[in-house]
Parts: sequence; C-alpha cells; structure tokens
Amino acid sequence: MSDISSSVKLKYVKLGYQYLVNHFLTLLLIPFIATVAIELLRMGSQEIFTVLYSLHFEVLHILCSSFLIIFVSTVYFMSKPRTVYLVDYSCYKPPVTCRVPFSSFMEHSRLILKDNPKSVEFQMRILERSGLGEETCLPPAIHYLPPAPTMEAARNEAQMVIFTAMEDLFKKTGLKPKDIDILIVNCSLFSPTPSLSAMIINKYKLRSNIKSYNLSGMGCSAGLISVDVARDLLQVHPNSNAVIISTEIITPNYYKGNERAMLLPNCLFRMGGAAVLLSNRRSDRWRAKYKLCHLVRTHQGADDKAYYCVMEEEDKEGNVGINLSKDLMTIAGEALKANITTIGPLVLPASEQLLFLSSLIGRKIFNPKWKPYIPDFKQAFEHFCIHAGGRAVIDELQKSLQLSGEHVEASRMTLHRFGNTSSSSLWYELSYIEAQGRMKRSDRVWQIAFGSGFKCNSAVWKCIRTIKTPTDGPWSDCIERYPVFIPEVVKL
Amino acid sequence: MGRSQEQGQGQGPIHSIRLSTVGAARPTETGTTHEPTGLDLAMKLHYLKAAYIYSPETARDLTVRHMKDSMFMLFDQIAWTTGRFSRRDSGRPYIKCNDSGTRFVEGQCNLTVEEWLSQPDRSVDEFLVYHQPIGPELAISPLIYVQLTRFKCGGLGLGLSWANIIGDSFSLFYAFNFWTKAITGETIHAPPPSRGDRRFQSPNPTVKDPVSVKQVDPVGDLWVTPNNKKMATYCFNLSVADQISPHFPVNGINSIPVFEIIAGIIWKCVAKVRAEPEPVTVTIIKKDPNDLKPNNAIRNSQVISSVQVDFPVAEATVEELVRSMGEAKDERFGIEEIGGSCDGNLDFVVYGAKLTFVDLSGEDLYEARVMGKSPDSVYCNVEGVGEEGLVVVYAAAKSEERGVTVTLPEGEMEMVKLEFKKCGLIAP
Repeated sequence: MSDISSSVKLKYVKLGYQYLVNHFLTLLLIPFIATVAIELLRMGSQEIFTVLYSLHFEVLHILCSSFLIIFVSTVYFMSKPRTVYLVDYSCYKPPVTCRVPFSSFMEHSRLILKDNPKSVEFQMRILERSGLGEETCLPPAIHYLPPAPTMEAARNEAQMVIFTAMEDLFKKTGLKPKDIDILIVNCSLFSPTPSLSAMIINKYKLRSNIKSYNLSGMGCSAGLISVDVARDLLQVHPNSNAVIISTEIITPNYYKGNERAMLLPNCLFRMGGAAVLLSNRRSDRWRAKYKLCHLVRTHQGADDKAYYCVMEEEDKEGNVGINLSKDLMTIAGEALKANITTIGPLVLPASEQLLFLSSLIGRKIFNPKWKPYIPDFKQAFEHFCIHAGGRAVIDELQKSLQLSGEHVEASRMTLHRFGNTSSSSLWYELSYIEAQGRMKRSDRVWQIAFGSGFKCNSAVWKCIRTIKTPTDGPWSDCIERYPVFIPEVVKL
Repeated sequence: MGRSQEQGQGQGPIHSIRLSTVGAARPTETGTTHEPTGLDLAMKLHYLKAAYIYSPETARDLTVRHMKDSMFMLFDQIAWTTGRFSRRDSGRPYIKCNDSGTRFVEGQCNLTVEEWLSQPDRSVDEFLVYHQPIGPELAISPLIYVQLTRFKCGGLGLGLSWANIIGDSFSLFYAFNFWTKAITGETIHAPPPSRGDRRFQSPNPTVKDPVSVKQVDPVGDLWVTPNNKKMATYCFNLSVADQISPHFPVNGINSIPVFEIIAGIIWKCVAKVRAEPEPVTVTIIKKDPNDLKPNNAIRNSQVISSVQVDFPVAEATVEELVRSMGEAKDERFGIEEIGGSCDGNLDFVVYGAKLTFVDLSGEDLYEARVMGKSPDSVYCNVEGVGEEGLVVVYAAAKSEERGVTVTLPEGEMEMVKLEFKKCGLIAP
C-alpha cells in the first residue's frame, strides 16, 4: 500500500514540477497583470487620460513609433521561415496476388539454396522472429524459381508502385499533374537511366520547368532527407508545392547467394511506396493535415565503424548483396543519441530540459556514476513513428526511449502487415495511427528513420486538423483486425 | 508412336520453362489442417492430368499475369489444396494448410495449335502437363502443377497435374471450370465450403477385401507407383457411329452404353494379347450418380467398382462383357477401410491394380469456355498407373466422338494396338 501511495505522491510531485517550470513565464505574468488591472480599475478613466496627456506625445513621436513597430513586424514576418504543410499522402497497397506467406518463402528458399541447408535454417530462424505477418508482398519477379530480376521487371515494379501511389494522391488531393512545381523521388537501390523522376515526368506529362530530383543510395532514411530537400526548396520558391515519392524497388536487389549476413534483407524487405504532397501556400493551410515543425539530420559517417556497418558488396561468388554488421544495433543506438541531443532542446518542454541539464551537470561535476537522465519524450509527442527496420530496431528504441506498447504499436503493426518497406514505412505507420482514429488536432508526431551511412533522421509534424475515420488507405480493409498479438517466435 | 511415362522431366518440344508460385489471396488461419479419408489415402500414388488447348483467337490476348490473378480467385475457394503434406506421429499423412501455393509453369512451343493437333497420337499432350510426384520431401512438394504453354500462333495450352489424394477427376474438372470462369471475368458465386462429412454414400457397406485395390511395397515419402515394367501411353479418338455401334446389336442408337462397349472391346483386345492369365477381373471407375456437387466439391467420390467374369474374355462377345459390367460391385467402402488402416502407412495402387476403365464421358469438358469459346481439344490421363493398365474414356470435341487414352506396359502396347486395328478402333 505504501508503495502505491508513495508512487502516486511522486506522480503528483512530478506533475506539479512540470506545470511550474513549463508555464513559468505565464505564472510570473499573472500577478503582474493582476496588479496593473487592479491599479487601472482603481484609478478610473479620468485619471488614466490625465496620465496619458502628461506624457506629451507629439504627432512626430507617434508616427515614428508606429513606423518602427510596423518595420520591425515586417522584418519579422519576412524572415520567418515559410511553414511547410503536408496536404495529404498516399501509401501503396500491393495486390494480394503478390502475397508471400511464410511457408511459400521458406519453400522457395529451400529449393533455391538446396545445397546450403545451414543458410536455409538461418533464414527460417530470422523469419520466425521477424515480426512479419502472412500478408507482406514481394514483386512478381521474385515469385519465380529462381527469381527473375531483369531490368524490365524492375521498371515494371517501379511503375506499378509509383504510378498507383501517385494516382491515389491525385485523387485524394485534387492535384493536377501540371501543377506540380517540385518532384523528389528517393529510391535507394534502383537507379536507372533515365531516372525514376524522369519516368514520372514522362508518364504524367509534367511541366518542362519542374524542379525534379532523384535521390539514390541514401538508405532507409532517405524519405526524411527528401522532406528536408523539399522544405529547403519551398523556402526559396514561394507559393509552390512539392511531391515526394519514397519507395524501394525490391526486384533487382534480391540476394542470390548464400552468405548468411546478406540473406537477412531478403527476409525483411518487402514491396511498398508512398507519395506525399507538401505545400507552402497559405491557401492549403485549411485542407492540410500536418505542418512540419522540425527536421533534424545526423550523420555518423565520419566514424569508420558506422560507415561500414551497412555495406553493399559482392560475396565470394560474385553475388551482390547488403552486408549487415553485427554492431548494427549499437551504432543505431549511438546515432539515435546524437539525433536526440539535437532535437531534444527543440521539442522538449522546459521541465525536461532542466532535469536533463541538472543531471548532465551533476554527472560532470559531482558524480560520473549517476545514471544519465533520459528525457521523457512522451511529453513532447503524442505519437511515434519508428522506422520498421526490424523487430530488433523497434525493441531497442522502445527500451531506450522508455515508450509504452501503444506508442510503438504503429511501427510493430506496419512491420507485421507490410514488412520493412524501407523509406516509405514511416508513412504506413502514420496511416495506421490515422486509421485507428487516434490523430487529433494539435497532436505532435515524431518520425525517426535510420539508414546506411550511418544516418539517423527525424521529423516532427503537428496535426492541424482532426483526421476523421474511416480513412481510405492501405489499412482500410484490415484495420479491424489490428492490433494483433505478434508472438515472439512463430513456429513454422 | 506411344510416349513413355516419365517422372516429370523432359518437356520435349516445350522450351523456355519458367516456374513460379501462385496461391490463395486470403491467409488461412494458422494451425488449420485437412485430413484425408481412407479412400483419399488409397489413391495417393496416383496423379490426374488434364490438358486443354485453346485456339489463338480465344487466347491471344490473355496475359500470364491475368491467368495467375484468376488462379488466386480459384484458390481462395480451395485454399487447403495449396498446403503441404506432413505426417502425424503415427505416420498418417495430413495436409498442413499453410498457403504454400501451387507451382505455375510457363512454357513456349514452336508449333502452332494446328500443327500440334495434327499429330495423330494425342498423347503428345503429356508435354503440356508439367508433373512432379509428391516427395521425397513432403514439406516442399506442391499438390497441383499448372502449365501454361504459349504456341507460336498465340494459342494456349493449359495443363493441370493434380494429386489424386485431394480429389477425383470430377473435382479437377470442377476446379478448372471455376478457373476459366475467373479468367473470363464472370462473377462467380462460389458456394461456401462445407465442413461436413466428406464421405460418399455407399450402397455396399459389407464388401470386404476389395480386389480393385492392391497393396504395393512401401514407397516412403516419395509417392511414386513402384512398377517393374515401364508404362507407355497411347491416345486416339473414336467415332461412336463408325467404330462402336457395329460391335453392338442396335436397340435404338441413343441407348447404347458407349463407355461399356468401348471398355468391352478393349478388354477383349487386351485379353487376346495377354494369353495367360487373362484379366478376368477389371475395375470400373465412374462418377457417383448420388454425388451432388458443389458442396464439398473437391474430394474423392468416384465410384470404384469391380467386375468379375468366369468365362474366357478373349472369346466372349462384347454384349456378354457389357452385361457383366452392369453387375459391377461398388468397393469404395472396403477401399476406405483398407486405405485408412495402419494410419495410412501402407501404400496402395487403384488405377492399374487390375485393368482399369475410367468413364469420364458424362463430363462436358468442352464447357470449360474461356472468353466464351470452348477448347479445341481436351486430353485426360492418370500418372502412376499400375502394371495392369488403364483406359480413360472421355468426351471429344464432337459429341458423337470419344477420346480414349490407354496406358499399358511398353511391351504390350504394340500388340494391343494391332488388336485395335483388327477391331477397327484405330485406322490400319
């Protein structure tokens, strides 16, 4: 009983401290305003006018003061960065005919790797613990025995994913192709000539003065890098919109060898893609869903270990694959710490920053053995979208940020239903939160993505209108089944 | 020219073979299983084959993608057939409904449909049906293989190889018709799969020791009929008016039992070739008239009956043989008992345990319309036939004709064909 009562008391102490520190200025201002108000009421209107006349305001003084005020406010509004609004986005839902059930995946694995039973065994253990479900999809070329990853098949997959997502975006937002000012495509591992952005411009007959960019090789965090590029461009170009396509084309990147560390991506990466419409037009403010508050990018590439931890290379037999080092989780943890250190001061309430600062000072000056204070990010955000890179990533982040099951639910369920869709997974997670009806006006969302390099990028969005359910999107036909319980190990 | 039955390799004139997997669109609940009945287990070494050929006008615009997508609609109804076999601790096989899928084979042929159909021995259609037996690893052996062959002119050959343990020929035709409706884009009102008893109604519950089934040496996990002799296949068309009726006194042309007559004639021919011992017992397999599909549409409900005569067959008349076929005894109950005994660890052969005649002529195979057009040709056979041989009789393109596929030991085939020529069944 005393434990419970002491923990309840502690909770109230914490709440009180938070209210005090976060609303410090307001609390200071209230007695001041109260005093002034009481004085004014006491003086009465006649006395007020007498005081004002005695100040001897001349017309010149008044004019200069007004000009100064107008000048300062103009400079302020002009130099304020343009707000970037997220009008809407759409996620690609692969057709059910591309579905890959576990048993089918394992059967293909056993048939293709029939001379390497240890590698097959490894893949099975990964799949059992992966957190993926039975409805994730691979492109048609990978359903062949052996897989048939031709360039034509890769282009077909790209067209299937990108065009479907874009058409859905056009329908949702009423956007006309000729109105697109900026086009950014990010696809890490498939970079044909002409580029995917050129493919889109050709298909939809976009304007000849469009600003198009194609980002490749930047890993799973490239989605937020695209948002960063779009934001910077929207500062320079007034009254414009930007379309971002985030996807990963699986067809050419299916690893055909039997090196274990390189077979891992085959088990986790699945088909997916998203199309996002950003705008800086004031007129879009009323129909936009979110506005971009912060975007922080941290790159650990200067450190050799971080640089080499996700490496595309050839194995002994000449098959190209992505080698994931064993230190991946540690490096991800350090990248996250670096990112948090930058984003913390921007988003955390004053109470948390004060606690973190005192703990930091305390550890430096008094006792280095004090446990470092991990700021409570749950006070800064209502929703979290952690890149669904794998079950281990989500577990690790849940632990280090001290998040509850509900906070990481969007990430886990996206991993279950769609697998690791690389840069677009953040958008599937956001769509999940909306589909569950949890997104309310003024909710803040934190999107965190990791990628090769090693990078950790995060974006903070604020919801500016409550999203009504049911939403249309990739979850529309299955949201009633979610959340599902995902066992630790699925027996195959 | 007969074609030897081979175990699935060597597709002859078909090249550029590509394999992929298709399955069911909706995930099956984990832990779902399907238990074969005793009769199913007795049939496990047999595989049913059917090949449908469609003209270029019908099939030129059908893409592989569309064909695969339509298969998903079919398998949504029969998702359990996309599972894989496993054994219980007692050794009894059962199907784990894990959505592993079926194998889809794509191939090309350098001949046109016309050139292909001009070959007199229709058993070349075996090349249109990709086949692999179940095993040696049960967990990675599909139960169904679908082959799509593109002819030079744009025509299409659709071949289905179907493990008999999941269902009989009538189930296969039902599934294929479902697929063609899906390809054509018709809305299909599939009945909800019934979870009721899959057993058949048998009027003969007291038959023990059925003779139409024979136990064979254990085959373990590779479900292939262990034959000492190599089997060969020969397929031809018969005209009822020209080749069948002359053998039977005319009592009204519409009432002649065409299948029984064909069976009788062939029985006699085989008896003449096999001097000692003659086949005095044969097996007749027909559709169960009491079986009302489509509830439980995929199952083994064919009537397996045995005919025994006590007179020398080679000298008998066709009428006598037809009459004795009328007294065939339904042995399914006995087969069910035997098949399920010892927890399915014993291995049996039904087709070819005795000389077997299968009557598929009641099925209108040409109703399998794609885009409104019937196939140009349909071929039926069974893989894994025992040494006594098999004759399959089915409908041909013209209603007054029948297709006949004969599978016999290689050594007997030429002599039996000679007998056929003597009877006028095939042209000299």
